[in-house]
Amino acid sequence: MTDRIGRRAALATGGLAAAAVLSPRKAAASSTVVAAHYPNTWETAYRDVVAPVLQQRHQIELVITPLLAFDQVARALAQPRGRPPFDCFCLDPGPRRTAIERGLVQQIDRAKLPNLQGVSPGYVDEWGVGVAMQVVGIAYNPSRVEKPTGWRDLFEPKYHRRVAITGFGSTFGTVAMIEIAKAFGGSETNMEPAFEAVRRLLPNVGAVALNSAQLPSLFQQGQIDIFYTNTNNVAALKAQGVNIEFVQPDTGCPAFATTMHIHARSTVANEAHQYINVSLDPAIQAALQEPPPMFIPTQTRTPLAPEVAALVGSHDALSRFIQHDWGVINPQRSAWIERFNREVRA
Amino acid sequence: MAARVTMPEGRFMLAFPMLLFFGAFFVAPLLLLVAVSFFDDPDITVPGLSQYTGFLSDAFNWRVLGQTLLLGVKVVACTTLLAYPIALLFLAAGPRLRRVLLMLILVPLLTSVVVRTFAWIVLLSREGVVNSLLLSLGIVGAPVQLLHTELGLIIALMQIELPLMLLPLVSVMARLDPNVVAASQALGAGSWRTLVRVILPLSLPGYAAGVLLVFASSTAAFVSQSVIGGGRLIYMPLFVYQQATTLYNWPFAAAISVILVLAISLVAFGINHLGRSARGNIHG
Repeated sequence: MTDRIGRRAALATGGLAAAAVLSPRKAAASSTVVAAHYPNTWETAYRDVVAPVLQQRHQIELVITPLLAFDQVARALAQPRGRPPFDCFCLDPGPRRTAIERGLVQQIDRAKLPNLQGVSPGYVDEWGVGVAMQVVGIAYNPSRVEKPTGWRDLFEPKYHRRVAITGFGSTFGTVAMIEIAKAFGGSETNMEPAFEAVRRLLPNVGAVALNSAQLPSLFQQGQIDIFYTNTNNVAALKAQGVNIEFVQPDTGCPAFATTMHIHARSTVANEAHQYINVSLDPAIQAALQEPPPMFIPTQTRTPLAPEVAALVGSHDALSRFIQHDWGVINPQRSAWIERFNREVRA
Repeated sequence: MAARVTMPEGRFMLAFPMLLFFGAFFVAPLLLLVAVSFFDDPDITVPGLSQYTGFLSDAFNWRVLGQTLLLGVKVVACTTLLAYPIALLFLAAGPRLRRVLLMLILVPLLTSVVVRTFAWIVLLSREGVVNSLLLSLGIVGAPVQLLHTELGLIIALMQIELPLMLLPLVSVMARLDPNVVAASQALGAGSWRTLVRVILPLSLPGYAAGVLLVFASSTAAFVSQSVIGGGRLIYMPLFVYQQATTLYNWPFAAAISVILVLAISLVAFGINHLGRSARGNIHG
């Protein structure tokens, strides 16, 4: 008898598990929005801050798929038909441009986003909305190295063996390399001075990281004391008790918006709009700018928190930070990545 | 050496679901990969060979391919030095110690390779365990650069891949007839001679399987290669990742994958051949 119940229970459990595996979207309620987010900081912040509010206000369940921006676009490209892998993208400018060019995102309906009121027009277009700003600068360990002043310092002998660099595999690696090129007389279309600087640094480099995600752990392990990154990573490390400070380079900080987009084939576009709208809510943006994660609001109705204001000044000042033209950058990245491989190879 | 046990015809049907699974989830995607590699443009519209000619006409890429295969050889060599003593200990051990050893071999496999890789960052960094030990023992005056070097990568891969070498080796040792060793010694061979002439040749089939697994796994170990090796050590899996994920050039990524798979298969074929001829020697 017990044997029989055991088998029945096992069959039922197995059946349920199989059903769950075969139809993950069906198992959830119809009002579910699957949103891709950068792993760790973003994923956690949106799960803790945005998801409960979305559930409470609109009875929408938020399911987060942690993926880097490039991986989101790759995943969406790999699934050209049928149900999309997720409903919302969370991208930075390079991958965003690819997503639009490849027809992966649908146009947004401004009428469904009342919280757009207060968002600077520069952060909104017909394809998506900026929900936070990323500001890129130099991070260093104040107890071990002198405060750097600008990009050129990274290549000074006093920082030898302490500096980590990363190439064009990430968005902020790319904008940092462009700023380095500019600091040595180059431009968005002339990367040569940056490559020359890297070549000079190589014998004394602390580390060359393949991607930006590896930098914080290298810093924490004392392998390096100075690297380029965004303010969110610095806030996250600080919250873990790591001795780290952020410096605005003397030539200015590059800044770019992290934008949300709706997948072209999403079947829950209305709910996705509600999700984006909640993300732009002044109260939500205020909650998200507490360190960590210390997301810099794009919503000007949200007053800047003291920690954020200390870094970027004001909403107005933020809008004057250095912007790059990704229409110029994207076509060159393949060649830059290849060149970087060749330059740094041991 | 092939099994002589005859199998009733119907038994093959039991393997059918597995075949179906492999066909759908392994063979079909692999064929798709090969097909994609024969297109000239990222949008997969113009068929052609340009991905292959492009890759193979560049000396830099050949060096990277060579370095990747060489990394596999180095890891195999180092893993061998570590695995054989443990396998011999297993051979000499009683049933209880054998169970403990088997547990110890299996435990690392229960931890994700990503976690093991990150543990190695902590061990190998400038202020890591290895450097603190070397410094406090006075062996070195300043921290040694281990992270982001090939040496560090080989050390980490050696530990990560060791179970793959040990499991087949230990399974061969477990089946080794103790009478053969006893006979060798009774006939006057010393321990060394017994080891070299009897135990090592008999363990070769297991060793060949281990070599194959470690070689294939370490040449394709993208996570360990990128996290421990860093940006200056460039291996084939990184190329695939850059082309597929960062640049969305899937035909080129596919072509690089196919070249890597072919290169690894070629080496695997060679190892298999050696293992087979070794088997022939013992029984012949």
